[in-house]
Amino acid sequence: MNLSLLARHQRLFSLACASVTLSITLSIGIGQLKPLADISWLDILGEGSVSLLSLLWIFFILVSRPPGRVTTALVVGLSCFLFSANLDLVDEFMFYENSAEGLSMVESIPAGVGMIIMSYALYQWHLEQLILNKQLHKRESSLRQHHQVDFITALYSAEYMRSQIDSELANTPSPDFAVAMLDINNFDVFNRKYGHDKGDQLLRELSDLILMNLRPSDLACRYAGDRFILFFPNTDLSTAEHIAEQIKKAIANIAFKPALSGESVFHQLTFAAETAKYGDVSESLLQRVNRRLENFKKNGPAHG
Amino acid sequence: MVQHMVKRDFYSLEDKVVPAHQLAASVLDFSRSREVNKHKLLRGTGIFNEDVISDRKLSVYQLLQLISNAQALTPGNDCAFLLGKRLFPGNYGAISNALMHSRDLTDAFRVLHQQLNQICPFLDVKGYATQSHHYLLFTDAIGCKEQFQFIAELYCTALVAGTKLLFGERIPYEFNFPFARPKYIQEYEVHLSHRLRFSQPVMSVSFDNKWLTKTCLHRSDSLKWHALRQCKNSAIPKLGFLAAVRKAIAQQHLGLQAAAEQFLMSPSTFKRKLKQHGYSFQQLQDEVGKQQAIYLLQVQQLSNEESANLMQFNDIPNFRRSVKRWTGLTPSQLRMATHNIVS
Repeated sequence: MNLSLLARHQRLFSLACASVTLSITLSIGIGQLKPLADISWLDILGEGSVSLLSLLWIFFILVSRPPGRVTTALVVGLSCFLFSANLDLVDEFMFYENSAEGLSMVESIPAGVGMIIMSYALYQWHLEQLILNKQLHKRESSLRQHHQVDFITALYSAEYMRSQIDSELANTPSPDFAVAMLDINNFDVFNRKYGHDKGDQLLRELSDLILMNLRPSDLACRYAGDRFILFFPNTDLSTAEHIAEQIKKAIANIAFKPALSGESVFHQLTFAAETAKYGDVSESLLQRVNRRLENFKKNGPAHG
Repeated sequence: MVQHMVKRDFYSLEDKVVPAHQLAASVLDFSRSREVNKHKLLRGTGIFNEDVISDRKLSVYQLLQLISNAQALTPGNDCAFLLGKRLFPGNYGAISNALMHSRDLTDAFRVLHQQLNQICPFLDVKGYATQSHHYLLFTDAIGCKEQFQFIAELYCTALVAGTKLLFGERIPYEFNFPFARPKYIQEYEVHLSHRLRFSQPVMSVSFDNKWLTKTCLHRSDSLKWHALRQCKNSAIPKLGFLAAVRKAIAQQHLGLQAAAEQFLMSPSTFKRKLKQHGYSFQQLQDEVGKQQAIYLLQVQQLSNEESANLMQFNDIPNFRRSVKRWTGLTPSQLRMATHNIVS
């Protein structure tokens, strides 16, 4: 588990701790211990798990989200709720003198406040998600499958593309989409010269560049190694080739700087495009476009 | 143990013969770049982080454990392929230099064959040629078990990337793998070749003969000679245990009893040792028979009589039955199947 985000939430972390300690010391301080016979263990089990699970929720929010408005609201809300839950729990062990009756009267108020704050937070989260979806545009199609995301480029993997193509083929009787395969020339040489970490960095930057040159409806995935695959819905071959050509030009003009010395390395790209035919499956289509790409790599492209 | 009494010419799964700074170091480097937890990676392997910067030796068993951990912990399916790309020239110093300055592919394969136990203690490789094609036949030398596919992916990628370095272009290899077609076929297509066949009776790599005599880009006889001198004295025995047993079966037609004797073990110790490497004696006998049958009938296109004779069968019906059992095909079907292997 990656806990690196936790260190950035010192305040929220203290808040959650404060909520736990304050609720427990407060009720223990005012009350007195019940005789053992009066304690209902079933209630303790129920209320104890509510406390524990809210603590767990806080933990997962802290390790999953960077600091910000939504995170703060979520944790503050949950901490209020936790405060009440803890009072409820300790209640089971204690009884209060008349003077402390007030405590049990007000114990549910923080929970209510907490729920209101959380509702606000969830609404904000919804807005945030809409923005994030927009940022994911061209990286993602209709499905979200986080296990199919490629580690290096954060694009989806070949597997995602295959299911995307298959579902497109299954949904339309006459397919009218195109795919293009892009391959970086001499990526091996670059890797050997500058090291594999720089190679990974190059792949990341190139994938950003590819995304910039796509239309909002298109989708880019990493195929394998230095090969990318693009999906163009409702597109004919010449348009797909046109867009791929633009990506090729854009990449050829980027001066990638692998070392501090500022030395620039330029990259060329080979691409091949294909349109789906009636009766295609993802394998046959991918095989055609791969063959064509291999051919271009060997004999030089017929265009550009 | 009898081991220390005679000089052995094979290594077992548990023998510490592989320098830690080679493949193990590459695996550690690669896993680090994929943000894998180092402790989890080394768990159960008996390998320590300091080992890779020392002269310590590891056993093949330890390497297989490490590979199994790396495969489970690194994201994606390209771990074997990316490691294969780094293998050569990578951590093999003098051997890499000798290969790099080879005259041609024939020459490079000769160097590789001499140094194979250093670079790849997992696989045994045999080369043979027909009129048009050269074949490399791969068998499990030491008992890779579940890791065999990973090892195959790793070294096939190393072969493709390594020879590309020698010639400046990719040799169009054709691959036959004994395992089923994997879901992540894209990695095979991009890193190896489009000419792929899965669920085949033997693992082989083949290519057009013309590549054998094409001159390498960095050919230099003096540099190669110098590099070879540096890498001559390695302490690793030549063959893995399974490869050594296969050799005894193929060349001397030994049965279990005689083979055990040759390996200076009692039959029961011998059987136990085979089991530890994941095989029974019968399995190895069948495997050797299958390979010989495929080679003689399919590649060399010999007649039943000639093949049976070479394989020391006394009668043809018995030979036909055995071939059918090993390969699932009759001798004549096997001869017919040539076209789809070579084309």
